[in-house]
Amino acid sequence: MDPVTLAVVRGALDQIADEMDLHLIRAAISPIISETNDCAHGLYDAHTGETIAQGGYGLPQFLANMQWTVQQVIAVATAEGGFRDGDLWMVNDPYLSGTHLNDVVLVSPVFVGDRLFALFANTGHWMDMGGSVPGGWAPSATEIHQEGIIIPPLKLYDQGRYNEAVVRLIVANVRLPEQLKGDLAAMVNVFAIGRRGLEALFAKYGEATLRACIAELMDRSEQQMRSYIAEIPDGTYTALDWFDNDGVDDASLQVALAITVAGSDLHFDFTGTAPTARGPMNISDGTTKSMCLVALKHIFPGVPVNGGAFRPTRFTIPDRSILAAQYPSPVGGTTDVVQRVVDVVFAALAQAIPELVPAAPFGTTGVATVSGRHAGNGGYYVAVYPYPGGYGGSRVSDGLVNGTPPGSMAKFMSVEMSEHRYPLRFDHYAIRDDSGGAGQHRGGCGSTYGFTMLGDCVVSILGDRVDHRPQGIEGGGAAAANDVRFRIAGQDWVPPMRSKADRITLKAGDQVRMASPGGGGYGDPLDRDLDAVVRDLDAGLVTRQVAEDSYGVVIARAVPLGDRHRHTLDPAASAARRSTMRVRA
Amino acid sequence: MTAATRGVVGIDVGGTFTDLFFSQDGLRVDRVLKVPSTPDDPSRGLVDALEAAGIRPDDVDLIVHGTTIATNAVIERKGARCALVTTKGFRDILELGRRDRPAMYGMTGVQDPIIPRDLRWEIDERLDHTGAVIRPMDDAEMRALALVLLELDVEAIVVAFLHSYVNPAHEDRVRAILLETNAAWQVVTSSSVVRELYEFERTSTACVQAYLQPLVSRYAAGLQSRLAERGFGMHTLVMQSNGGLVPLKQLSARAANIVRSGPAAGVMAAAKLAAEAGFDNVITGDMGGTSYDVAVVVGGRPRLSDETALDFRVSLRLPMIDVHTIGAGGGSIAYLDRGGILQVGPRSAGAVPGPVCFGRGGTEPTVTDVNAVLSRINADNPIGLKHLARLDIAGARAAIGKLGETIGLGVEDAAEAILAIVNQRMAGRTRLLSVEQGHDPRDFVLVAFGGAGPLHGAAIMREVGVRTMLIPPHPGVLCAMGCAIADLRYDMSQTIERRVADLTSDEVWSVFADQLADGQTQARESETALDGLVVERAAQMSYAGQIHTLRVPLEAGWSLDRMVEAFHAVYRAEYGNTLGDLPVTICSLKTAVCGRRVTQAGRRPAAVCKAMAVATVTRPVYFGGWVETPIFDRAALRPGDVFDGPAILEQSDTTSVIEPGMRARVDAFGNVLVEML
Repeated sequence: MDPVTLAVVRGALDQIADEMDLHLIRAAISPIISETNDCAHGLYDAHTGETIAQGGYGLPQFLANMQWTVQQVIAVATAEGGFRDGDLWMVNDPYLSGTHLNDVVLVSPVFVGDRLFALFANTGHWMDMGGSVPGGWAPSATEIHQEGIIIPPLKLYDQGRYNEAVVRLIVANVRLPEQLKGDLAAMVNVFAIGRRGLEALFAKYGEATLRACIAELMDRSEQQMRSYIAEIPDGTYTALDWFDNDGVDDASLQVALAITVAGSDLHFDFTGTAPTARGPMNISDGTTKSMCLVALKHIFPGVPVNGGAFRPTRFTIPDRSILAAQYPSPVGGTTDVVQRVVDVVFAALAQAIPELVPAAPFGTTGVATVSGRHAGNGGYYVAVYPYPGGYGGSRVSDGLVNGTPPGSMAKFMSVEMSEHRYPLRFDHYAIRDDSGGAGQHRGGCGSTYGFTMLGDCVVSILGDRVDHRPQGIEGGGAAAANDVRFRIAGQDWVPPMRSKADRITLKAGDQVRMASPGGGGYGDPLDRDLDAVVRDLDAGLVTRQVAEDSYGVVIARAVPLGDRHRHTLDPAASAARRSTMRVRA
Repeated sequence: MTAATRGVVGIDVGGTFTDLFFSQDGLRVDRVLKVPSTPDDPSRGLVDALEAAGIRPDDVDLIVHGTTIATNAVIERKGARCALVTTKGFRDILELGRRDRPAMYGMTGVQDPIIPRDLRWEIDERLDHTGAVIRPMDDAEMRALALVLLELDVEAIVVAFLHSYVNPAHEDRVRAILLETNAAWQVVTSSSVVRELYEFERTSTACVQAYLQPLVSRYAAGLQSRLAERGFGMHTLVMQSNGGLVPLKQLSARAANIVRSGPAAGVMAAAKLAAEAGFDNVITGDMGGTSYDVAVVVGGRPRLSDETALDFRVSLRLPMIDVHTIGAGGGSIAYLDRGGILQVGPRSAGAVPGPVCFGRGGTEPTVTDVNAVLSRINADNPIGLKHLARLDIAGARAAIGKLGETIGLGVEDAAEAILAIVNQRMAGRTRLLSVEQGHDPRDFVLVAFGGAGPLHGAAIMREVGVRTMLIPPHPGVLCAMGCAIADLRYDMSQTIERRVADLTSDEVWSVFADQLADGQTQARESETALDGLVVERAAQMSYAGQIHTLRVPLEAGWSLDRMVEAFHAVYRAEYGNTLGDLPVTICSLKTAVCGRRVTQAGRRPAAVCKAMAVATVTRPVYFGGWVETPIFDRAALRPGDVFDGPAILEQSDTTSVIEPGMRARVDAFGNVLVEML
């Protein structure tokens, strides 16, 4: 294969997918698509479903999920006589298409003459799919029907004929029908953009050359992925972690992972993971696989998004476990469940390549949903606050603060904008003191925010990481646990499921206070640079007690300044204390 | 004193070069020059450039200047030591940002807030979103805090309270108390910098302003006295990132507005030259040593962005010309990725060691090496390099050959492959920018400039499908020229965030009246000779509940109904439909006051005499094979000259490539217009 054509065709295919991403982000009505890029677009092999190219603007969580969704649709379409020109398939059944009901996937076959060339597919997050709670995050759902309407794989267009009946049926079951119709139209239109780009490539290179390039690119991506895996020492690396509970039964749920590296092959084995939960802390196996690859790409950002890169990976995920849910298990907790998948991949690989893997991030999306009616015009509102939190320390640096989860890029709403829109007043939004895991490189601190209600409202929260904290690596400490509190009628109240609370009724003056976990620490805290400890003390990021007990420093002076202190260490005494502590350890 | 009798100097001080443009009448090019910058004291390089160009104080009426000092101070964290005073419970807003990470993939990174946490303080006060006082501030508490701040040895203090954009009273009171305590402090209130909501973005902008203000004040004073010493005591203006100018004396109060002023000047000049040549819709492509900057001009107006990130969680919420950058420049390095596929950039050889052919120790093949090996640039006449007489072609061939060997390509084929890939990256970003903004790039003219832009413009044009490329007379110093031709500009903005149904037209127009008065005052105080003021008004509007807002240009005297009608029209143009009767919100009101500088009305087109131009010199240049190619001296070309590619144009500030299959002609203004045959 001519190396120039190969490189240029790869660039052109990526460009097509990028342009599709940007078209939808601009045209979508749903703010979740237009503001937080909750979508993905790509080109897939017509027979194997393998990803040929996927846009760089869509969210990480769809990385490999799209490929498995397309593979499911291929199976159904084949059973029904195969793809025909002008067909357009649609699905949101999360047991087939992953994530949750809000992510609707469309699949569009591309023909050259009468030959099927490839499949375009996209996904976009629709604001509401019906169900018991607006927006879909229902912490006490026990079956999927409480989360909204299920669309099995079906033809929205059949050889160019629009199936209006199916759209009418869907629209009749959701809370924001006009918005949904706009988003659907925008998603359908994007395929014209993709097809135009592909036709320009046909004209320039011809079908045969393109097919050859695509096959070669898959192989090259596989080779690229294998080169990364080969750098990980062979062996089996295990990790265990837990969810606090599923929101319905108060029992912890185990996630077990054994990663086996053999040469340039990777095997992810989740044997030992808890059976499907009664509550919504479940995901489908496609989403589990995708999040393993997201974790790898966070470690090796150069990994291409291409089916070839997925080939060296194999998965064992027990049927009907929380990571391979089947009908009718609810899946609305997906935003939290996916994070534990990343956590165990990081924890396992940190044993093999600690120089590349950070300690655990905060590990919970902790979505708080506030709904009610405005006092003035009586209008209905739903406010959604996704949790920010700390990232883990790494070989290179301390962890970051106020991060977004690994699968997401969604931002936290501006406090001022929120107060314009919703009847609640923020009391604080701050770095949570002393919440990062101790370490040579400290974990990033968590965030804390609180608000006071200005009128009657209903609050639901879907979080985790209260009982099981984000862990450190290489001798680093664990971060602070999640902490969710209400103050109702002057009384403090912690929900029975700790960070999961379903439709709590609040009145004016009641308060919610959230404090997210930090990230785990990296390396022995006794090796932390003394100047960094002083900076943390002066900034209030660690307390004096932690500085002495965990970091082993001796404070020579603490000069008061306003309500704070400026610290000076005694280096010699600190060194002595540190050696004593090391001996004891 | 009229502009016709004495000239104007535009000087763009970049990281590597200081460019100078001198014109007697404000537009015609009388002198251009490129000299090395002096990063330790940028004003020295500026004065050096004036002297090297042989410009005497008597020649000059006005000096206009673009600078990177502000950008560099932020990126290198060399600004002032500042403290921040916030509403109780919110001192960390500056560091928290809005929940994100530096890149989509990768969970590590370093954050360095420009005001660290131990210098961030709180006082107990609170306003609500209507500006009503929920908790009054206590002067005694603030006075006590001021005494604490005295011990912190800070030069500047930022005051940023929640909802101060509606009611700045608390911020103003704190400012007064701080100045009573220490009149030497430079105090910046967030509401004086941005009258808009979004607490992180407003706080960050105010912090950047305070961080830069002492430095920029010193720079302005130093430059003024240095110029005065040499007799250049005349009026001096500085380019802002919104494409407008501000006088040196007002500079320190607008320190945050001058980041990236050079690129903005380039876009302004490109837009102006294209408009003069009859093109209103323009894509500008500025390629230098390390990066390619692309921007879109629609209807003659460069697109502005409302917000720009200078660094991870260093946000500027000020109108800036929307320039997008990718790491593709002359110094970009070619390599094979782990899959064995050829890639170019974003890693760059930089100024040191630089490309292999510069002979400063570079060993990895770069885009410049490719242009040298393919003889697109003249090895015997390296531009801007004083230390060598001839480029090291043998070294560049060896480096490219070594890379080519691993993928089975000879030297020339490997070099062309590298070109194809870097050109595709730039063309791709160019396409994405127009697609992101809903335009078809084929409807645009590409203006190629910067030291390397005209070398690659033809390929970008071909890849993107643009029909016409314009290469300005002096593409290598276009940013300096942009300084010389820009106007004064003051932007005012105020958050409203209310539904149209809850507003009266008097309320709206009284905000506009205040903004206009503010702009007029600043323009008057600029002491700049102006032809008149041009006022532009716009509202940011949305359907109630939407997060994305649209900029809706408004005309004087419009009623609220007329504004809503205009919003619907803009919405339809942007998204192809409207959302019917949904209530509409006015998010903010904006006024731009532009002071037209006294200059000659414009250049007169020269007489055009159509003639096939013939080059006297040829040399072999590689276009899929070695082709004996005509080499034109740009300075010798005359309006009306026509020639076909392949051709090379040489001039002191850059080299242009006309590919086979393209025709070039010189227009009445000395631009070279290139079209596909």
